[in-house]
Amino acid sequence: MSNNKLKKVSLTAAATGVMAGVASAASNEAVDELIAKIRGKSDKVRGDALLRAGEAGAPAVKPLAKAMDDEDVEVTRAAKRALWKIVRHAGRPRARDEKRVVAAELIGLLGDGQPTSVRREVLWMLSEIGPRRSVKAIAALLSNKELREDARMVLQRIGGRQSLAALKAGLKAAPKDFKLNIAQSLRQRGVNVRGLACVKLVPTKKTNVKPVK
Amino acid sequence: MKRTNQLNRREFLAGAAAGAAAVSFPYFVPSGALAARGRGGANERITMAHIGVGGMGGSHLRGMVKRRDKGEVNIAAVCDADENRLANAVKTAGKGVQPYRDYRYILQRKDIDAVVIATPDHWHGVQMVHAAECGKHVYVEKPACCTIEEGKAMVAAAKKNKVSVQVGSQGRSQPEAYLAHRYLVNGNIGHISRVDCFHYPSPEDNNPVPDSAPPPELDWDLWLGPLRWRPYNKRYCHGVFRWVLESGGGQIRDRGAHVMSCAMWWMGADGTGPVTIEATGTAPTKGLWDSAVLMKVTYTFKNPDWTLTWTQMPREQLPSAEKRTGKEPGGRISRPGYGAIYRGDKGEFIHWGGDGGTWAEKKAREWKPSAGAKDVYKSPGHKEDWFKGIKTGAKTIMNIEAAVGVANLCVLGNLSFILGRKLRWDPVKQEIVGDEQARRMMGRPQRHPYHL
Repeated sequence: MSNNKLKKVSLTAAATGVMAGVASAASNEAVDELIAKIRGKSDKVRGDALLRAGEAGAPAVKPLAKAMDDEDVEVTRAAKRALWKIVRHAGRPRARDEKRVVAAELIGLLGDGQPTSVRREVLWMLSEIGPRRSVKAIAALLSNKELREDARMVLQRIGGRQSLAALKAGLKAAPKDFKLNIAQSLRQRGVNVRGLACVKLVPTKKTNVKPVK
Repeated sequence: MKRTNQLNRREFLAGAAAGAAAVSFPYFVPSGALAARGRGGANERITMAHIGVGGMGGSHLRGMVKRRDKGEVNIAAVCDADENRLANAVKTAGKGVQPYRDYRYILQRKDIDAVVIATPDHWHGVQMVHAAECGKHVYVEKPACCTIEEGKAMVAAAKKNKVSVQVGSQGRSQPEAYLAHRYLVNGNIGHISRVDCFHYPSPEDNNPVPDSAPPPELDWDLWLGPLRWRPYNKRYCHGVFRWVLESGGGQIRDRGAHVMSCAMWWMGADGTGPVTIEATGTAPTKGLWDSAVLMKVTYTFKNPDWTLTWTQMPREQLPSAEKRTGKEPGGRISRPGYGAIYRGDKGEFIHWGGDGGTWAEKKAREWKPSAGAKDVYKSPGHKEDWFKGIKTGAKTIMNIEAAVGVANLCVLGNLSFILGRKLRWDPVKQEIVGDEQARRMMGRPQRHPYHL
């Protein structure tokens, strides 16, 4: 797959902002080629594809997320790394439109239809490029037992009033065993949280090793 | 276990004043005497605990046992998340040493003055800050921090709690580091405008395995600590954590924290930082490890202007090592695969190593200072320098401010590599400029309750 082809796909997507409308034959072909290489058996081919994955942009997000659930652990890793490449490329300065469409694709992957491992990774991707409008979808995961810890950390990192409000609302709604976690994020964001003492210095884990007698 | 029964002068006086009861406990150090805001006397015996006792931590412990056997220190506790490692450490340390899985039990003990932290990198910041908050003096392995925000918290905690911190970039304390430093600051190669650090590549994971259940001896939750949760994989630990970006960061963080430590010190650049950072490199094509294999990072400094580079290059491109007799202050060069070339307007100078082995080129070793030549600080030894800091309040040779400055170089180099673009850095505010994504990556939220 040529760099130019990937760049064209990515720029087209960014320019229109409507994914359905840009799924041209050329872009499909470029993304298909990327995915085929990622799913291939050759480390070298996979590695070369990874290097150039960043410019594949938004059209490659969902196909790569699907490949992250592959049975072959190396395909899973490569797909994950390729997706991170896209996130890091899209987050560069002065690429607002590209970042916006990639983030939109990522938000779409937070739903129940995706494996937990994919959703967890996507959460952290959004921690780097997630806009204000990603906050609602992330905050919804504060009630998901498997993902709530990642979700509250991601909200902590995103910054801004929306994420702070989501954390405050999350604290009110949180079950007792999760309130301290959210309180920690709020403290990190400069909020004085009363009634929930920080337990970071409280030891909890006992060893079975005995001292020498 | 051989231990001395001799009392030092302070203990003797304390014992005499308190009566026979005190004399019957010859290893007693007044509770929190050194750990508190005040400083103990020069003869006070420091009571130590070791957090992280495998690999480098095991080496620290064995060294401290020798010091204890000479009557220099007490060892009260050892700690590790791996029960096998902990059991070995207890055997090494002997009677009277309490084992812990959770380091926070150690921080609660008032009789412990100081801790040696040699856990994986992702724990350094949190444990150092917690120890400082509990009034403990700290020796923490390099690199100091994994993120910019961790580094800021470490500096603030040491300052607020008035504890002595030494970071394990022990290259600064090596005999030939002193000779190199003295040679360079006396202008022997003129004005230095460029320092090129070299290192062999980071390894690739050529034996990748799928995730699995952690072994029974390992508390995986505690090993992960501040990191976001992920399933256990054999290729995370032990030791090899350093090839994973989140927990180690590759050669640039592992050895960069040594070689660039020498550069910052010898260039008089502690407390400063670059204004731009630009990295390129190659990533592994398979396996768990994701640190750059080959890498080149260019750091540009302003006022004064100079350039620092870090290059992980194929072994055949490394500079050849100097031949030696073994009688030099640092002995033979046992690790020729890393070091730095200093480029001045009157010549060049090269050193190899930069950690526990630091080897200066012959011309620096043989240089005789004339009357009026500048001298530089000569460390009595990295641990000795720390003990001096604990007892007198003197700034350590690899104090936390300097160490965070060096660690930031490593962190920023990796960030530029990860993001695939040049970064701009404000060395005064210690912030990335003009890149929202990179700015978010200056910190990394930590899992509850293992946080700053």
